[in-house]
Amino acid sequence: MKPFDLLRPSSIAKAISAKQSQVQFLAGGTNLVDLMKKHIATPDALLDVTPILSSQITGSTETLLIGAAVKNSSAAMDKLVLSSYPLIAKAILAGASPQIRNMASTAGNLLQRTRCPYFYDTTLPCNKRNPGEGCGMREGESRMGAIIGHSEHCVAVHPSDLCIALAALDAEVLYTIAGEKKPMVIPFKDFHRLPGDAPEKDNNLPQNALITGVRIPKNPFSKNYAYVKLRDRDSYAFALVSVAAALHLQGDRIVEARLASGGVAHKPWRWYQAENFLKGKIPSAEVFAEAAALAADETNPLVGNAFKKLMLKGAIEVALQNCLTA
Amino acid sequence: MNFFKTKTSSPKVEGRVEGVFKVTGTGKYSAEYHLDGMTYAVIVGSTVPAGRIESIQLDQAKQVEGVLDILTHQNRPQIPAFATKEKLDKSGYSLPVLHTDQIYFKGQPIALVVATTLEDAMYAASLVTATYRKTTANVDFDGSHKGVDAEPFGKERGTMAAWASAPHVAEAEYTIRHEVHNPMEMHATIATWHAPGKLKLYDKTQGVNSVQQTVSRLWEMPKENVEVISEFMGGGFGSGLKVWPNVPLAIMASSQLKRPVKLVLTRPQMFTLVGYRPQSWQKVRIGADKSGKFTGIWHQAKHATAIYDNFNEGIVRISRMLYDVKNIKTEFATVPLNLSAPTWMRGPGDCTGAFALESAVDELSYVLKMDPVQLRLQNLALRIDPDTGKPWSTNYMGECVTKGAEMIGWGDRKALPGTVKDGDWQIGYGMAVGMWFAGRQKASAAIRLDKDGVITVETAMTDIGTGTGTAMQNIAHEYLGIPKEKIKVKLGQSTLPPAPSQGGSTGLSSLSGAVTAACEAFKSKMDAYASTAGEQSSPANYSLIMQKNKLTEVLAEASSGPGEEQKKYAFCSGAAHFCKVKVHSKTGKVKVEKMASVVDAGHIVNQQAAANQVSGAAVGGIGMALSEEQLTDNRYGCLVGNDLAGYHFAVNADAPIIDVDFIHKTDVNINPTGSKGVGEVGIIGTAAAIANAIYNATGKRLRDLPITPDKVLLS
Repeated sequence: MKPFDLLRPSSIAKAISAKQSQVQFLAGGTNLVDLMKKHIATPDALLDVTPILSSQITGSTETLLIGAAVKNSSAAMDKLVLSSYPLIAKAILAGASPQIRNMASTAGNLLQRTRCPYFYDTTLPCNKRNPGEGCGMREGESRMGAIIGHSEHCVAVHPSDLCIALAALDAEVLYTIAGEKKPMVIPFKDFHRLPGDAPEKDNNLPQNALITGVRIPKNPFSKNYAYVKLRDRDSYAFALVSVAAALHLQGDRIVEARLASGGVAHKPWRWYQAENFLKGKIPSAEVFAEAAALAADETNPLVGNAFKKLMLKGAIEVALQNCLTA
Repeated sequence: MNFFKTKTSSPKVEGRVEGVFKVTGTGKYSAEYHLDGMTYAVIVGSTVPAGRIESIQLDQAKQVEGVLDILTHQNRPQIPAFATKEKLDKSGYSLPVLHTDQIYFKGQPIALVVATTLEDAMYAASLVTATYRKTTANVDFDGSHKGVDAEPFGKERGTMAAWASAPHVAEAEYTIRHEVHNPMEMHATIATWHAPGKLKLYDKTQGVNSVQQTVSRLWEMPKENVEVISEFMGGGFGSGLKVWPNVPLAIMASSQLKRPVKLVLTRPQMFTLVGYRPQSWQKVRIGADKSGKFTGIWHQAKHATAIYDNFNEGIVRISRMLYDVKNIKTEFATVPLNLSAPTWMRGPGDCTGAFALESAVDELSYVLKMDPVQLRLQNLALRIDPDTGKPWSTNYMGECVTKGAEMIGWGDRKALPGTVKDGDWQIGYGMAVGMWFAGRQKASAAIRLDKDGVITVETAMTDIGTGTGTAMQNIAHEYLGIPKEKIKVKLGQSTLPPAPSQGGSTGLSSLSGAVTAACEAFKSKMDAYASTAGEQSSPANYSLIMQKNKLTEVLAEASSGPGEEQKKYAFCSGAAHFCKVKVHSKTGKVKVEKMASVVDAGHIVNQQAAANQVSGAAVGGIGMALSEEQLTDNRYGCLVGNDLAGYHFAVNADAPIIDVDFIHKTDVNINPTGSKGVGEVGIIGTAAAIANAIYNATGKRLRDLPITPDKVLLS
């Protein structure tokens, strides 16, 4: 690891004014420190922002606000989260290990980088790590790669579970930036990027901005929800395909449905067509299968991951089914 | 170190002798020793998989504060046995680390940075660069093995023609991907030349005497001048049976700097520098007559190896000894690639071979429309080892099969695949058998009695986590009648009575003879002292007897090894593995619902430790069957991925409760305790049992391990 200075700014304003391209914010460090050990991130200094960011979860009649420094494990055990936004807890607990969740922050979870093995090995080509170098995975071991929204420059997938639930629940990312007094907001669907021709950029957060929290609007999805994660082992593995599903049922009909997936794209992916299809329908295995097929048909797998299309279809069916029994 | 003076607050639970040391962190693993003047070394690996080093740039790295030296092939001290090509060939050490500019695999050590702190060494190592004259590399096993013909392995028995028209035949190809050991504890060496010409090593190894011998051979020095310590080990699974480059590198650095050097591999280096189970291809053809009696087996196999190290794990061996079959042909070959050297990994060879053989037998059972349990019982070679013609000393595999079938509820299995459903889940049962030669080697042990009446049982053997130390205490307690709290155990040091490496399921089988022999020697010594003292020779009187003889210590050492029995008998451990799986028809997910393993390992010295080994091996089998796969990319000539997030060992969440039982029948011929090795048979056959259960559940025959959900979905 390259030597670095560890700075402890005393306020958010001081943290932001000290931020430069070679100076990075540090929260839980569960991803950044790994990247530093592997010489993928080589900052000159780290700004430890954990003490100055909120570690509170607060609810109002309209929204839930999760502070940027709230640990993943705290969010997963929070009473308000569990009673009114349980999909979030379910997604968090599907990820990492208890030790990592105890360290990992909410904001850091949003900013974690892909686990593509070509990205992680500095001796292999990767446009995300080294723009212009080429994509190792695209024609290589692409089993874990994207099946939608990928580009010729990058086929990496976003690794988070929490973010899939946040995407499904139309969350918003709050951040602050030098010169702005009011907190700034990015809708979750616009937060992460597709790789396009600039895969080195994971998200649309302005440079040197600091995430202060995540806001989730009040929703009717606390009863019928599911998070299904398919992976190569049942704990401590990144998703092959994951599905966050939520249904708002009234009488025998679906009023509104939400479907988002991890392991399929460079960002958490919402299946809007399938959601629209489900609106107004009476839930049944056939309806779920049809919705799942709509989503699966949108995908464009790589040579090495055609199976993900089938798996996605199955996972959506299972997730929707589980919404009824949750 | 005063070893194993365990205080336990719960006397009812009989734990392991080293348990408290492990869970409280007081037991020292190799990397945890600190010596005065310690320096820290970090390996720089080649970034290309094949070619020659043209130059190495050290300037930037040397500017890092704390850097003491950087060793390369141009400036390292000479290892005597690497001095000439002839000497190197004779040394038996395959990789002349830092003694060549030739690159055989990506990650091969090209430099060693030594600094006053680990942090400085790590940073400086990242600044070392090299230029290479690259040549074409090949890591493509699938593409390469087709160009390599398998050659006869073992004598052909009978003829192929004799069963050419067998009425029932199963024939298929089976493949297994590259697997890595990656024990929790990283390989590590601390080297110190503590006196002129005297070397001391703290090394993570499964055999201190083996390290001692190898190092003394490489440095052409008497082995008494090399002391090796490995008191605790955080897992080995075979990776600790060889002397890997970290050992000579640390020694060279310590020679150069004249200071102690600590070298701990990084997790990524664990993927390339300490062996692996090589990728393999197999083809099995098996024939049976109308009654289901096997008429012939033709087993071919090939596995990957390194260009510089022709490791061979003998995959087809198991087909020669498991079943009573007149006609057998076994063929084998290795396929050299630009990868580091593979090595023994849990159940080496037989574990790989059993996947193919036991899958093929299962396939044949469906061809025959015969219960796979019945088919095994009808064909197992239970009396005679078919390969040597010698009678088995003991072989209770039939009983293992019968008992395992009861434990899993085999009666609930439906013969027709794909017929049992629970919603989207399909349910099936599978079984397979495993066998491992029950070896025994010469070993020594000592018993030392102190004036407080406490005895210490000593041996150089390392306890790799299997419970060897506890078993030594158990045996000494049984033989001497001394209470367990007065029996200490000391092991893992080359200055103690010599013992073989712990590997190949031979540890306890070898050592139990030595401990019982030491007990006998000790008893007769004490009897003599007792009669001199005019006292009755009993543990209660030991302190008094010593007093009267004016003794402060009594020491008895003895050795024991295989003898005439080896000429008369063949020895084996056996196991039957059963499982129940469910397979999700829409997502391809496989869940192992239940597993039962029954093992014939002779007399079981310590039930808890033995069962623990078997269930641990079964979890390893689940990983082998369902998730373990090290990827390679031939375009770049290397492994892809080198962390534990991407390499999927099975974890607790993947494993059901594993029912383990033993046959508990003593093998009176093998050694004085009648115990046969248990470490390997726990995994041999488990992957086949799972694959066979998947077939029973779904009708999908999956012959390429690991059986990840994508393969289930696409087949």
